[in-house]
Amino acid sequence: MNEFVFQVSDSIDHIIRSIPLFKVEFALSFGFLSSIVCTLIFDKYWKHSSFFVTILSIICAFLILMTQHDQSNFGFYNMLIVDKTSFFARAFISIGLLISAIFLQQHFANKEFKKRKGDLYSILLAAGIGLNLFSMTTHWLMAFIAIEMVSICSYIMVGYFSENKKQAEAAMKYALFGSACSAVMLYGLSLIYGFTGDLNFASPKHIQGLIAAPEVMVSIAILFVFTGIGFKLSFVPFHLWAPDVYEGAPTPVTAFLSTVPKIAAIVLLSRLASAWISTPFYFSELTFMFISFVSIVTMLAGNLIALRQTDIKRMMAYSSIGHTGFLMMAIIAYSNGQQNILFFYVLVYTLMNFASFAFIDVLEQKLGSTQLSSYTGLGKKMPIIFTCFSIIGISLIGLPPTAGFIGKLFVFSSIFEIYQYGGDQIFLWLLIVGALTSVISLFYYFKIPLFAFLRNNKEENIENINPALSPMLVIGVILTILVVLIGIFPSGVFGVISN
Amino acid sequence: MISLTHFLFVSACLFCIGLYAIIAKRNSIMILIGIEFIINAAILNLVAFGRYDKINYSGQIFALFAIVLAAAAVAVGLAIILNVYRKYKTINPENITDLRD
Repeated sequence: MNEFVFQVSDSIDHIIRSIPLFKVEFALSFGFLSSIVCTLIFDKYWKHSSFFVTILSIICAFLILMTQHDQSNFGFYNMLIVDKTSFFARAFISIGLLISAIFLQQHFANKEFKKRKGDLYSILLAAGIGLNLFSMTTHWLMAFIAIEMVSICSYIMVGYFSENKKQAEAAMKYALFGSACSAVMLYGLSLIYGFTGDLNFASPKHIQGLIAAPEVMVSIAILFVFTGIGFKLSFVPFHLWAPDVYEGAPTPVTAFLSTVPKIAAIVLLSRLASAWISTPFYFSELTFMFISFVSIVTMLAGNLIALRQTDIKRMMAYSSIGHTGFLMMAIIAYSNGQQNILFFYVLVYTLMNFASFAFIDVLEQKLGSTQLSSYTGLGKKMPIIFTCFSIIGISLIGLPPTAGFIGKLFVFSSIFEIYQYGGDQIFLWLLIVGALTSVISLFYYFKIPLFAFLRNNKEENIENINPALSPMLVIGVILTILVVLIGIFPSGVFGVISN
Repeated sequence: MISLTHFLFVSACLFCIGLYAIIAKRNSIMILIGIEFIINAAILNLVAFGRYDKINYSGQIFALFAIVLAAAAVAVGLAIILNVYRKYKTINPENITDLRD
């Protein structure tokens, strides 16, 4: 007891010193609380007040984050890490949150519900706090809390309005699948805690414990832990929820789910990979083989199943599964020290995905459908949307002169370097499957210009479509221009990321 | 004398029962109960292992957080299932299949 009393003042000092590291999340938390207050009180007088507060707090968080540039620090007994990885991850997350908030506002602007719309923004901010914590930690307790925070917020966002049967079903599948995965992950974490007695997965004590533990038990525990991360990243075999939820959820929520949580989860997985892969023992080999094997299977499954989809949102779900496989390939490059490649690909993926969902939402509001066949012959009536949409498709495939091409090129060249240096067969397979699936993806992304430009619509009942200039469309076009610009001049962005 | 092995055995049994309840999927509420079983198995493990970690007590702290998070997740899950029941008049996951390939 006396020792404990002796330590108290030290602990309090340490915690007070760590508080400045938490400024960004404080801004978001404050925004979360004031957004709830605005929804309850001020939305009656000015209906955009909660939206305005949300945007303001995201921008504040982003500006505070900019002051943490070049900082490298640990806080709260190594529970939070502020370094280059978490800086870029949180910058991308802030951009993603901002775009999602605008999408939500635009999508629900013309609809009337009994429920308050403002609650959606506060839930978005809560998810943002969870995502920031997710990308800042190497501590399992923090990671688990962050995963649960993001998951619970996502369930609510999918099922909040339940306008139709599909949304209710999507929310139920998501909630059940997600809770089951995180429960299994918790069991795996409890086993890992038993082997090591330490919850910080980058600490030497943790790694020693994993080296000493029996192989069978370590395999079970690690696979259980990957269940939870796999659910957030939606890699095979935990991808089953993704197509159903993406199709059923409102389009802006789908845009959020398919992009922002993936940034955070990929950062956690890359921290885990770079901490665990480096030793020559059994658990490192298992982690490495798991990541590379799952990466291959995910790329194949995502891209092959996407070929036979007729609904654009479902197709984008499988396409994002395929991109997850590619991101896991970038993780292998990350754990070999080439961090900027992962950041670049994540940034490009964020821009491309938000742009495509912006166009999908604009078209859905005009046509009332997300079927690919409903785009037939619309290319000449809405030239801006479909030209930009086709460019985004080209970027998602990875063809020049777009940012998607540069991102894929960096990943391929770094994996090829590792292959030449280390010479393991699995790297060669990664390269082959990566290239092959990029070719396969060409067939389904080209369905968009195929339907829009090359097929004529027999029925002329879509005369009343007048392409008005909406903020969604403007954001989509800006993102497309960015994607092309980064594709032509990648050195500027790459310089910022590598610096 | 109850040793660590006993705790681990009970928690492994709880985990298996929970997993069976999830895989059998007759009823959404049963799936939620199965999830609770798995979470409680993990909590039992954490507390049992936490006995050997007298400096930080990470296991106990983790168990407390896990209980709170499980309660939050189940509350949201039940609300969503209620919503599904209003639309479909059933909560059997095998009858709710509007979304599929």
